[in-house]
Amino acid sequence: MPVYKLHYFNLRGRAELARLIMSQAGVEFEDVRFERTEWPALKATMPFGQVPVLEVDGQMLAQSNTISRYLARKHDLAGKDEWEQALADMYADNINDLMTGMRPAFLEKDADKQKELYEKFMTETVGTHVAFIEKQLEKNGTGHLVGKELTWADLAYYGFFSFLVEKFGEEFLKDASHLKSLIALVEDLPNIKKWVESRPKTEI
Amino acid sequence: MPGYKLYYFNVRGRGELSRLILHCAGVPFEDFRFEGKDWPAIKPNMPFGQVPVLEIDGNKMLAQSHTIARYLARQHGLAGQNDWEQSQADMYVDCIYDMHGTMRTPTWETDPVKQKELFDKVNEETIQPHLEKVEQHIIKNGSGHLVGQGLTWADIAYYAFFTTPIMTRLGGEVFTKAPHLKKLIELVGSNPNIKKALSSCPAPNTKLINGHCSTEWNAIYYHIVM
Repeated sequence: MPVYKLHYFNLRGRAELARLIMSQAGVEFEDVRFERTEWPALKATMPFGQVPVLEVDGQMLAQSNTISRYLARKHDLAGKDEWEQALADMYADNINDLMTGMRPAFLEKDADKQKELYEKFMTETVGTHVAFIEKQLEKNGTGHLVGKELTWADLAYYGFFSFLVEKFGEEFLKDASHLKSLIALVEDLPNIKKWVESRPKTEI
Repeated sequence: MPGYKLYYFNVRGRGELSRLILHCAGVPFEDFRFEGKDWPAIKPNMPFGQVPVLEIDGNKMLAQSHTIARYLARQHGLAGQNDWEQSQADMYVDCIYDMHGTMRTPTWETDPVKQKELFDKVNEETIQPHLEKVEQHIIKNGSGHLVGQGLTWADIAYYAFFTTPIMTRLGGEVFTKAPHLKKLIELVGSNPNIKKALSSCPAPNTKLINGHCSTEWNAIYYHIVM
């Protein structure tokens, strides 16, 4: 088994999906977390001056979705053939877009403006996307996003949507029974439960 | 050979990388381009209401520009020789995706003075620091390519990003500190299949502007990065 070392801030953020994948796969990893004050000194050591970075037997891999995809493929969570792998990639990209789409609201300092931005994000961006996802889940018919089994796509949706539920409540999922079931399915996986209970508690 | 149909607007934008991969690999495809006015009718048929979308054999649809590009690269020998190389290529393309995002503001700015200001800001804050790292990586890799010994879609992604109209117009100094990347981009541009594909335009009302197919309107108002 290779030695995995994941470098990131003490946050869930863009590293959490990799952690969920490794946890679900039952793979050991060193979960290196540092404070913002430590970052300037570490930045120069990262391949593109950014984190998360996955260190695999001393070699470094950057970019959160690349890291997650690499781990998923290595540990049977990527999809059973190249087409399924592509579908899983597609869903992970959707989540990436949603995360990026949330940033302006997240970074807004004015409380009233921030509330407005979050509302807009949730109704327009998330709401629209959830409607599409419901259709896709229904069409696939297995409870999973891709194929018949768990893939990192399911974990990606769980990671982001459980965070949204935490932050905004479940109301926005009221017409999304399939997505709700998927989130619950992942939540109940023993390895995921164990990880969520033991991980450091962070705001994001 | 599967039947590929790539749905995208009649611009370079987020469809161009997949087109270049297919051209480079010598794979025929239907380069289905449409104008903004046609989009409302097409949108409901797309899996997530967005394009580009790759339709395969008339019945399977794949969304998300980089997922499509990665799938095509993997199917046609442009993804890297092993898992690690494939991940390295993924990593570089993700960097391009991020930079594409930062270029949106200057790209859509219509005032040329303000546009140059915004471009210079993105260049200083994001592109130059990134290129500094990329130069080091190319030198270390030793083959002239980003990943492994040969051309991958990562090289093509950098080519696409750094040859857009806005980059061509305002980015004259962009490679001052990145001669290896400059050479790599020239190498990709000199690939016979890419040269051939870009020497003529597939869609009506388009013509070559800065070596790429655009309508006049697209060239002026879009110059979308990547």
